[in-house]
Amino acid sequence: MELFRLENVTYTHNPSLPPVLENVSLSVGENVRTAVLGANGAGKTTLFYTLTGIYKPQSGEVLFKGQPVEYTKEGLRSLRSEVAVVLQNPDEQIFCSLVEEDVAFGPLNLGLDRPEVEARVAKALRDVRMTEYAGRPLQQLSGGQRKRVAIAGALAMRPKIMIMDEPTAGLDPQASMEVMELAEKLHLSGVTVMISTHDIDMIYRWAQSSIVMRHGAVEFSGDLDSFFEDREGVNRCGLQTPSVYYMNRGMSIAKGVEERPCPRNCCEFEAKYGKVRDVGTLKCIVSSEEDAASAFDDIKASHPRMPVGVYGCDVRYALRGSPVEYRYDAIDACFTQTLMGNDCALIVDPVYRTMVEAQAERMRAMGAEVSLEMVQ
Amino acid sequence: MKDAVLEADDVTYAYGRKSSQVLDGLSIKISPNKKTGLLGQNGAGKSTLFNVLNALYKPASGTVLYNGQPVSYRHKSIIRMRSEVSILFQNPNDMIFKPYVGQDVAYGPENLKLPKEEVDARVDEALFAVGMESFRESPIMKLSYGQRKRVSLAGVLAMRPKVLILDEPTAGLDPQMASEVMEITEQLHSSGVTVVMSSHDSDLIYSWADEIHVLSSSKCVYSGDPVSFYSDYGAVQDAGLLLPTVFKIDKTLSGPGSISEKPCPRTRAQLTATLVGGPDREFGTLHVICVNRDDSPADLLERASVAGVKTGIYGMSARMACNRTGFHASFTYDAPDNCLANCLEGNDSVILCDPLIADKAASMAEFVKNNGLGKLDVQVHNR
Repeated sequence: MELFRLENVTYTHNPSLPPVLENVSLSVGENVRTAVLGANGAGKTTLFYTLTGIYKPQSGEVLFKGQPVEYTKEGLRSLRSEVAVVLQNPDEQIFCSLVEEDVAFGPLNLGLDRPEVEARVAKALRDVRMTEYAGRPLQQLSGGQRKRVAIAGALAMRPKIMIMDEPTAGLDPQASMEVMELAEKLHLSGVTVMISTHDIDMIYRWAQSSIVMRHGAVEFSGDLDSFFEDREGVNRCGLQTPSVYYMNRGMSIAKGVEERPCPRNCCEFEAKYGKVRDVGTLKCIVSSEEDAASAFDDIKASHPRMPVGVYGCDVRYALRGSPVEYRYDAIDACFTQTLMGNDCALIVDPVYRTMVEAQAERMRAMGAEVSLEMVQ
Repeated sequence: MKDAVLEADDVTYAYGRKSSQVLDGLSIKISPNKKTGLLGQNGAGKSTLFNVLNALYKPASGTVLYNGQPVSYRHKSIIRMRSEVSILFQNPNDMIFKPYVGQDVAYGPENLKLPKEEVDARVDEALFAVGMESFRESPIMKLSYGQRKRVSLAGVLAMRPKVLILDEPTAGLDPQMASEVMEITEQLHSSGVTVVMSSHDSDLIYSWADEIHVLSSSKCVYSGDPVSFYSDYGAVQDAGLLLPTVFKIDKTLSGPGSISEKPCPRTRAQLTATLVGGPDREFGTLHVICVNRDDSPADLLERASVAGVKTGIYGMSARMACNRTGFHASFTYDAPDNCLANCLEGNDSVILCDPLIADKAASMAEFVKNNGLGKLDVQVHNR
């Protein structure tokens, strides 16, 4: 189903200036992981403000679920109860001085009762690993921490659509991985996630579809593999090709193999080009937070040397004190281990089960017969 | 040769008496004229360390040394030090001094009491280097974040520092601008400036740095070459970091063997060479053509008889010459890696290059020959 549809939308901040969006037509499908790409100043953020009704276009139409957006108090309230935005600069969306109050601001405005709000705030802060800062003033937090609080505020709204503008900018590599895990979790639980970013490698491994902007217009929309084929188009848009895409092209020409399928991440690239003989088995244990510790102990008792990875904030939190080999990006790291002929264990939050299965499928499509053993 | 241009010795710093130590007995030595990367997770103390190294913060205990001399924190000596050690803050809004772009870039050089013509020349050059020459008369408030970031970089370039500290210089910039900033740092490095840079982009630091320092829990936990650091995955993870893509794929696909015997690719094209190369392979030729700012790139291409070959632009004087003559290249950013990749596909390529960084451009491609990965000739013209 189509969630958003823009038809010939033009928006300008000031009639004497050139438009920031010019004749933009696009469509965003429900539950499609959508990347919004473009150089600085291409109009990505303005597009987001247009989708959430903050900017009303001078011409053209914005349709949400097939209906034109109504720029009345009622109309905007109903739109925004379903669409949450995380802004690039977290300081622009701080409403209260204390972390927990700030996260509660949105849900309270929805008219929810206190216990429900508190439950949502606690869960959202846990998901962004900020529980111990609940009572702290936001002013005392670092930029990266404030970013996570802003994400928690959006999560607590339980939106149907989550728009994230540069969610990983300024975050360290592990914190960025956590944000992308969260984005995936939202996607898997039915939320439509749109992300704009300059981190091409990160978005390439995540996105199913894309909207590429240039000078306020849509330059391309659709599958990223097709977009990156056109080197000059990529150059013109101020972008770069992702590392694995770039190396896959070099390898396919030099080795005379088909360029497609295009690996999207390290383990897929390794699956396509590694000299794999005895692929190890990946044992994936789907675990609740409560059972994670015993699952970990069981593996280490039966296979003391087997490396263990964790994926998902609940099991990671449960195993924070345990000697886990791969704490971040563990799906990629564990599949890499199997390609090197080692058996490996991966403990995941239940929601990620299908993601691990999909990754195994992608590895097979690249030509590596990985063996995945799912333990519920 | 001195072994450190800037040094912090057992430095302690906290933001208030009740807060915890942001730097806790930290020692670090910045080697002269090495491209130095500073890594660490959010809150590790990177920005605080930069402010201590630039004498903006005075540590509670420990010593900061510049050229082997302890920093005295007296007005005069601090002024002298800051005329040589410049810092680019992460947030450009923290370093805007004047309402208009040209005035803001001129602010530092004017404070150095330079003659007006010299200030003007420096402002022109610095704005060109960051691609903002047409914004000289623009009000800064009307610029986007990425544009402000480039103006603030121009401001520190105009100071012509001996040591340049860059705090997350590419954060918030789109990929092409980020690679242009990296090109500027390469240029500065070749002209003898010590460049120190922090970044969360592991791939960027890995392809660039000669030496890295890693901060974790208020201390410096590693100083040395990037390869040895990333070879210890446990330490990388404990420091809140992740492996660079090139390093990770190389380690998986190049198979077992000691690191010292194997070529160690730092860029995407070098990794591709490692994976497809072999003693009998033949690749395209890379021509590095030195271009001074008054040259005509088209004439130089004709003289080198390489017309019709894919070209890339690398470095300031080459950019100025191409800009002046309206020459369009195939690769306007990251030219060394893009041209090397093109050679690996069997085509000849040309890098139109600032003479200052011609050796750098050539050495990135000589990686192929030097590691026995095949025949890939590198010819430098018009030096």
